Amino acid sequence: MKPDHLNLPPRLRGGRTAKRWEGQTLPASAPSVADKPRHLPRKQGRRISWKPILSIGSPLLLLIVWQAVTAFKLFPPEVLVSPTAVIAAFGEVITTGELQRHLSESLTRLAGGFTIGASLGLLFGLALALSKTVERLFGPTFQALRQVPVLAFIPMLILLLGIDEVFKIVIIAKAAFFPVALAAYDSVKGVPKSYFEVSSLYRAPWWVLISKILIPATVPNILAGVRLSLTRAWLVLVAAELIVADSGLGQMMEMGRQMFRLDIVMVGVIVAGVIGFALDRLFQLLQAHALRWKTA
Amino acid sequence: MTLKTLNLNAFKPVWLLGLIPPVLFLLWWDHEAAKGGANALAFVSLAQVSQALADMLASGELGLSYGSSLGRALSGLLIGGGIGTLVGIAMGLSKPVEWAASPIYNSFRQVPILGWLPLIGLWFGSGDLSKLIIVALSAFYPTVLYTFEGLKQVEARLLDVGQIYRLNGWQTFWRIQWPAALPSIFTGLFQALAFTWISTIGVELLFSSGAGLGALMQQAQLQARLDIVLVCILFVGLTGFAINFLIKRLSQHVLSWRSIRA
Repeated sequence: MKPDHLNLPPRLRGGRTAKRWEGQTLPASAPSVADKPRHLPRKQGRRISWKPILSIGSPLLLLIVWQAVTAFKLFPPEVLVSPTAVIAAFGEVITTGELQRHLSESLTRLAGGFTIGASLGLLFGLALALSKTVERLFGPTFQALRQVPVLAFIPMLILLLGIDEVFKIVIIAKAAFFPVALAAYDSVKGVPKSYFEVSSLYRAPWWVLISKILIPATVPNILAGVRLSLTRAWLVLVAAELIVADSGLGQMMEMGRQMFRLDIVMVGVIVAGVIGFALDRLFQLLQAHALRWKTA
Repeated sequence: MTLKTLNLNAFKPVWLLGLIPPVLFLLWWDHEAAKGGANALAFVSLAQVSQALADMLASGELGLSYGSSLGRALSGLLIGGGIGTLVGIAMGLSKPVEWAASPIYNSFRQVPILGWLPLIGLWFGSGDLSKLIIVALSAFYPTVLYTFEGLKQVEARLLDVGQIYRLNGWQTFWRIQWPAALPSIFTGLFQALAFTWISTIGVELLFSSGAGLGALMQQAQLQARLDIVLVCILFVGLTGFAINFLIKRLSQHVLSWRSIRA
């Protein structure tokens, strides 16, 4: 199909559209209202490409300004520490093994809570979608509980379970449960009715229905829900560790705050961000791998 | 549950089934509470919870906390959403701004929102300002993203029409790009609304000085007053429900004019 832009008189092919379509040869039959095009397409290759410069330059500039501000001592060190001091603190918490200890505690917790929550969520979501009885019985309760932010349950769970490991696993599991359950429920509900009709026409037993129809039809959406729940679980884990503050990355940051160790707090912020990013990226790769049949 | 199911002709009490699990759970809970003994701390009776609710309503404590939480969430939404929309517009309209801002935006966004709290707390203390900054930040992220995406997805042919009419930059923005991006911007604002409520509760739990539902819960937890905690959860949940309901209604209403191709 010919893009609409090519039918425009060349005079109008300036600005955005010209940039978008330059490099494509114009059809000879393109109607031309003006005798001479006023804007010739700019030649490519001579222009400086600003994209890499700006996208690498802006974070770099931020770092330089940050370093400069601290070098000129515009703020006292308990308010702003230099990037080099943050790197030094990073080295410090690594050599003392503090970071590794906190991080492994946090990640173990995350793995446990997330696995429990996501698998229970998957089972519950499927049951809710597949059985009318389950839906009628538990649907309203599920929909109501879903509205309560997970963080609001922290004080209740602390009172009921104490501040031990059980509490943290339960709160992470709860954070992971709802997005997965909702995604499973929605995507199974979204399977076209005709698929079920075909399966009953072929008298397919329930396990065939699940393995050959439901799983391929729903896995993409469910995986998206699992990815969301992983992000949520990480957020809630950091929050829970900040509140309870007895171990883990959140505790490291909270202690840093209470001892006015800004450098350690910043290390914690950066590590929390990097871990969150890495988890999401890893899961994205996994998702692409699991769904490679889709594009093939 | 909805009014439609209460239509007299088609009245079927199947929705009552949905009440069975919570009612059974509450009965079991009350039974455990009545047994007392070792579980006395863990289970408070329903009577105690409703007493707490009545007390808190009468003393104005609940209204005060609720009001200040809601105020915090809304002012965070206003500040963060406003700045976020502006930043999103700048990023969506200008390539250089997009290139320069998006690496910074994307790397800051990776940090779990409450993870900023210790840092912000060191800079601005554990008072209302720090809380407001975090809440505004939680509204800022989605509005930037959706405003930017909305402006990026404006159809090229609409812009071509603008060129034919020789619209200048401002006219192109106001007459074409802004209306085309509005559905996406609203989606971002709705998300921001839900996020601000969650982060409001989160920051109040963490910095539990001052007023707010989260702070009230945290203080009740320290005094082992489960009844107060439960009342707070109820109100937090009801507000979450109301917000989601509002979002659903508003998006049906506000986004109904959106082009059929969407």
